[in-house]
Amino acid sequence: MAPRIPLPHALKDSALAALVAALLALPMLGFRLADSEQGLQLETRLSWVPIAAAIVFAGRFLLILVAPLMPRRGGKPSLATASTRRPLLIGLALAAAAILLPVTPFGDRNILDKATLVLIYVMLGWGLNIVVGLAGLLVLGYVAFYAVGAYSYAILSQAFGLSFWQCLPISGAMAAIFGLLVGFPVLRLRGDYLAIVTLGFGEILRVVLLNWASLTGGPNGISGIARPTFFGLPMVANSPGHTTFHDFFNLPFSPTQRVTFLYYVILALALLTNLISLRIRRLPIGRAWEALREDEIACRSLGINPTTTKLSAFALGTMFAGFAGCFFATRQGFISPESFTFLESAVILAIVVLGGMGSQTGVVLAAVLLVGLPEGFRELQQYRMVAFGGAMVLIMLWRPKGLLAGRAPTISLNREEAA
Amino acid sequence: MSVLLNVENLTMRFGGLVAIDDLSMTARQGEITAIIGPNGAGKTTFFNCLTGFYKPTQGRITLTPPGGDEWPLQSMQGFRIAKKARVARTFQNIRLFAGMTVLENLLVAQHNKLMAASVFSLAGLLGLKSYSRAETEAVEKARQWLVRIGLEKSADIPAGSLPYGAQRRLEIARAMCTDPVLLCLDEPAAGLNPKESLELNDLLLDIRKNNGIGLLLIEHDMSVVMRISDHVVVLDYGARIADGTPEQVRHDPAVIRAYLGADEDEPLPPAVARDLGEA
Repeated sequence: MAPRIPLPHALKDSALAALVAALLALPMLGFRLADSEQGLQLETRLSWVPIAAAIVFAGRFLLILVAPLMPRRGGKPSLATASTRRPLLIGLALAAAAILLPVTPFGDRNILDKATLVLIYVMLGWGLNIVVGLAGLLVLGYVAFYAVGAYSYAILSQAFGLSFWQCLPISGAMAAIFGLLVGFPVLRLRGDYLAIVTLGFGEILRVVLLNWASLTGGPNGISGIARPTFFGLPMVANSPGHTTFHDFFNLPFSPTQRVTFLYYVILALALLTNLISLRIRRLPIGRAWEALREDEIACRSLGINPTTTKLSAFALGTMFAGFAGCFFATRQGFISPESFTFLESAVILAIVVLGGMGSQTGVVLAAVLLVGLPEGFRELQQYRMVAFGGAMVLIMLWRPKGLLAGRAPTISLNREEAA
Repeated sequence: MSVLLNVENLTMRFGGLVAIDDLSMTARQGEITAIIGPNGAGKTTFFNCLTGFYKPTQGRITLTPPGGDEWPLQSMQGFRIAKKARVARTFQNIRLFAGMTVLENLLVAQHNKLMAASVFSLAGLLGLKSYSRAETEAVEKARQWLVRIGLEKSADIPAGSLPYGAQRRLEIARAMCTDPVLLCLDEPAAGLNPKESLELNDLLLDIRKNNGIGLLLIEHDMSVVMRISDHVVVLDYGARIADGTPEQVRHDPAVIRAYLGADEDEPLPPAVARDLGEA
């Protein structure tokens, strides 16, 4: 039996919402400055205001009608009933869609470029998820390790002519070493304190990058960073003395080839991050991370070394940031401290938190929402950030624990018995 | 039975407060040693010194497991005491990993053994046979403990959603999964109803009998202490005021005074004496 819907209440509520919308729309939509021959002129378009109010009225009304019919979702995730099969299928379907994207009609250069950007953030989100979601260490300076990876590649390739594929592991290792160096003294701190210290580290690193001009080029950054090659075949129109990619495969040259190649590189890197974090979660070290997040004192009483356990989570998470940074440098061809501001750290953390801490698919969704949509809606111009803020508020209202909250057990006794 | 734990002249000061005052005591292998005393007597502080959460100001704590090793616990780090000397403990306010499942709680307790098998997680990442065998063994051990505490049906639900009494039992099972030689229980019967208290007695007696380890027990519930302890140590203001079998301690005038605050010379009211005798 469908629950009874209080109609007068719904009408009143919708009218109120429409009133608020009208008040907001009056200055935001009702007036605009137009550039004309007489200079700036105030143009009125008051007809937009009732339209906005009507849309809000209809939307609110529908929401009230539909809300009671929707299954109620409590704040508590029901772990007991969480099936382990379904997320796997969704994940595989998403991965397949991502792999096939370049051959679909949607896979034009523009979309692939944006998808590459989203995938960088997906990878960073998955990396940070190890540190924040699994080990429960609130890190606000994650972008610093991304910068370490990017600058490692840029400097090594310029100074020693090392290729992208040679530098990829080095960048990851450098970021992990920085993670260990920073982590060792600060990981005894907890919660807010750790967040502040890592925030500080992120800023310190950025200031060092800005001022150590002889090594990093200071505010000018490093440009002309080498592009990755396909097993040694450069992806350029012509390269004297080298066989290029399109020559080797007898294809006509097209810049899309490189975009597609970069897309597959980051997709592979991101999937590697995902596979390792999914797998490691089911290993003793992963369980120890989660246990540390739940109760550090109990962990110590069980003989788990909190320092090395936290450091391992930190090192692994920062290593993936290093990989992503290396990729970022080769994709852009130019890096400067501008790209590694606190805002980036905040966006990555927002992706993890909005996605639902510890949820791999949630991170993908949140990255698409937070990075993909603002890129996709560039036509909205200044309303872009309003839409962005609105989306974040809506997520927090509807899913306070993140888009896909809920924790799947890492092992199950009944399944074990069946096996 | 041989002496397992030897505490000599242990003192713990917090600034001007002397929480433990020159305490000496022993606990034996295969026995349940109860530590009782009024609130604030220093019982939990003693446990914290023993398990490395506090560094004692003075004194020595020596653990001598049957193998012939000797561990100076007073100078060891907390997690090493659990890992190397194999002293496990439970907490007064339950400290389970509430968001993780019951089974996961028991697997985290076997962390060190599994970590060794996973060879820095590499064997685990690659899914090698040696690791999966170790994991199957760990799950089997966890299953046996779940059967022992009657929770095998609840293996896959979050530990935090278990009823209170079951959480207490699970915490004991989790401590036992670390293969301890000494198990320290901080008020395991707190908040249990009489039936659960009896079940706890059976569980502890069963552990003593079948695992042959030493147990240290802080407890206020005299029905637990008097029924299952082999040896009772009474603390007051951080010092040992009595030591002996439950029967001896029950009639010790110093103990009665500490609990009831009677004057030195004043005889005990007959009703109180009878209650203490019946406890």
